[in-house]
Amino acid sequence: MNANAQNKIYTTDGIPLEISLKKVERRNKIKAFLLAAPLLIFLLVIYIFPILNLLTRSVDNRLLSELLPRTYIALQDWDGSELPSEEIYKTFFIDLDIAHKAKVSGKVSTRLNYTKNGYKSLLNKTRRSLKNFEDGNYKEQFIKLHKKWADLEYWQAMKQSMPKFSVDKYLNSFDLETSFDGKIVQKPEDRRVHRILWLRTLYVALGVTICCLFLAYPISHLLATLPLRYSNLLMICVLLPFWTSLLVRTSSWMILLQSQGVINDVLVYFNFIGDKNRLELMYNMNGTFIAMTQILLPFMVLPLYSVMKNISPSLMRAGSSLGGTPFVSFRKIYFPLTLPGIGAGSLLVFILAIGYYITPALVGGASGILISNKIAYHMKETLDWAMASAMGSILLVSVLLIYWVYNKIVGIDNIKLG
Amino acid sequence: MKMLLKPIKLINLNNKLEENMKKMLQTVLISILFIPFAALAEVNVVSWGGAYTESQKLGYGDPYQELSGVKINWIDYSGGLSEVRTQVESGKVTWNIIDLYAKDTIIGCDEGLLVEFDFDNDFPPAPDGTPASEDFFTDMPSPCAVGNILYSWNYAYHLDAHPEGLRPSTIADFYDTDKFPGKRSIYTSAMSNIEIALVADGVKASAVYTVLENQTGAVDRAINKVKALCEDENGGCVFWSAGAQPPELLASGEVVMATGWNGRFFNAIVNEGTPLQMVWDGQVLDYEYFSLIADSPNQDEAMAALAYFTGTEGLAGSAKYIAYAPWRISSLDIITAGEPWYKDGVTEMMPQMPTSPANTKNYILMSGEYWADNQTEVGEKWEAMKAGL
Repeated sequence: MNANAQNKIYTTDGIPLEISLKKVERRNKIKAFLLAAPLLIFLLVIYIFPILNLLTRSVDNRLLSELLPRTYIALQDWDGSELPSEEIYKTFFIDLDIAHKAKVSGKVSTRLNYTKNGYKSLLNKTRRSLKNFEDGNYKEQFIKLHKKWADLEYWQAMKQSMPKFSVDKYLNSFDLETSFDGKIVQKPEDRRVHRILWLRTLYVALGVTICCLFLAYPISHLLATLPLRYSNLLMICVLLPFWTSLLVRTSSWMILLQSQGVINDVLVYFNFIGDKNRLELMYNMNGTFIAMTQILLPFMVLPLYSVMKNISPSLMRAGSSLGGTPFVSFRKIYFPLTLPGIGAGSLLVFILAIGYYITPALVGGASGILISNKIAYHMKETLDWAMASAMGSILLVSVLLIYWVYNKIVGIDNIKLG
Repeated sequence: MKMLLKPIKLINLNNKLEENMKKMLQTVLISILFIPFAALAEVNVVSWGGAYTESQKLGYGDPYQELSGVKINWIDYSGGLSEVRTQVESGKVTWNIIDLYAKDTIIGCDEGLLVEFDFDNDFPPAPDGTPASEDFFTDMPSPCAVGNILYSWNYAYHLDAHPEGLRPSTIADFYDTDKFPGKRSIYTSAMSNIEIALVADGVKASAVYTVLENQTGAVDRAINKVKALCEDENGGCVFWSAGAQPPELLASGEVVMATGWNGRFFNAIVNEGTPLQMVWDGQVLDYEYFSLIADSPNQDEAMAALAYFTGTEGLAGSAKYIAYAPWRISSLDIITAGEPWYKDGVTEMMPQMPTSPANTKNYILMSGEYWADNQTEVGEKWEAMKAGL
């Protein structure tokens, strides 16, 4: 101990050097952190917070338990086998009256209408008559007001909409629902829409990625091997559409693809097809495929190009001199070397394609729309943002999953973006 | 400010003249920066764009701007309340007035996104003194709505697509692909489509909503009718979402018939000379409303503008530019007295209106309440049908 203290080195102002150094280091750390702080705060506000908000919105179902607190408690013990007791009707009346006076009963009706259609007009009619209610016999008065108040299904729907947190929106995203006794069941067949769209989205994203790969590979190879003056021109051809607005490109495809459009007109003019048998290139999956492939092509070309540019031509020559046919040298030398580019390009295109919205909305018609269009539908049409959030979260998780699988199989370090 | 002035500082730091100039420049810059804020109030009005917004702008937007000095900005949207809800929830409301479907005025009012009117106080009476609430054709669907126009969802066809003597004339013809082969264009959502499909399937137009509410399977019946049309070898569907699309799809020959808003067809026929023909049978007569968004800036100016827009003269004004009927009974007198009322000075407007006797022989009256109630369930079925096409 003593020897140790004696060996300590001190700075001129008498503080042990060790502490002094630590102090400086800490100060530097704080400085560095402060420099990075704007970025961190920016990320937090613009990126992390909205995502957390999205996730909470999808399961947050506190609205009814907050606006109808007494009914929420009263319905806990109700088993749903027969109409609620007079007591519950009375509690509901009190809650609804308070909500109505606070001008929030509209929110209640919107929420309940998601679970059971018809609630909106039922509650609107009911709250208009609230002032005419007399004390006592609430059950009778409710039922006299509207026969739906004697319908068990409406009360069951209310109880089902009450839990503070619910995963119903996630189930709904896969066309499932919870029955009143708590079992997870399939939705009626004529209301299943999401599963088909998830599968279609995967199919289109995968298809577009493969199409892009097959188109981009030769282009990138040309770009990387042609003399500079030609390759520059080619590069501009790739980049020009990349810099053009997405909407402009999609609308141009509409002009080309429609049944009275340029492509069909040319085909008819040269008698490849009859005037009556014009190809249906748009307002279906074809349109989505063609337009998305063209729009996402640069995202495949650029990573591939940057990888191919760095492959020395002497490697292929070496392969030939060792007796390999062009195909063998390609398969054994060139192709494996381009793998990082393929990985990067495919991942980029796939992730972009899986959330594509505007192009399928414009050229996809009914059979070419994707899951993102459905999310927009819930944002805009039904105003069921919890549903949109749930679907958005699923999309987010699936992209992260793909990233994770890719990392496990190929390794994210092998990606090369340039 | 400092950043902007830095270069000047660097040129000559010590010169007093420069210093003075700096000050002058500073004043100029400040005044330039603040001019937009110092100018008169602005009111942002959101509507459906195209020929419709044009008629609103020319009919009452511009006249009011001249009259009051309040700047009216027109913003396009494609329906729905999502933007309104985003603005109200985040507390950064930039829109003032919005043009809405009946169902959205109900939903928006319930959600507290819109301002409830004190109808007869907020809106001026007719010139003869009739209070506003009695000057409008019917009651409003919600306390947050004030009537704007009556329009209709009917179908039209291109004259070249069907030879003379073989032209569609009834709503059943729209679904008859044997007689009239070719693709049809219909609205992207279920609203209007299932009503029209039921009438084409033989339900009486006046009984559509009674059937929808009370007969089990009525919705499925309508949706299956549309599905059959879309899957038909001789048929097929293109779904439209913006009002300008149906005339365009007809003009380009992409489809042979299309449902759409009568004013847009009128505009294509009269203004652009496209040879289209509208069919007035089994159409949906619908109302369009204005609402005031809650907690918007310049609320008083917006309310004053809205009162002018929906006044007798205002509503008659927009009918000068598009074939939509004004909501106020008293506006009709102005139009009748001023015929030919259309801006070209030759077209009589009254016969073009969706409310004229010749056009209302067989029509469905839209129920906003039905859609506010049922859009989730019917919408799900409709979307499921579309996804399976």
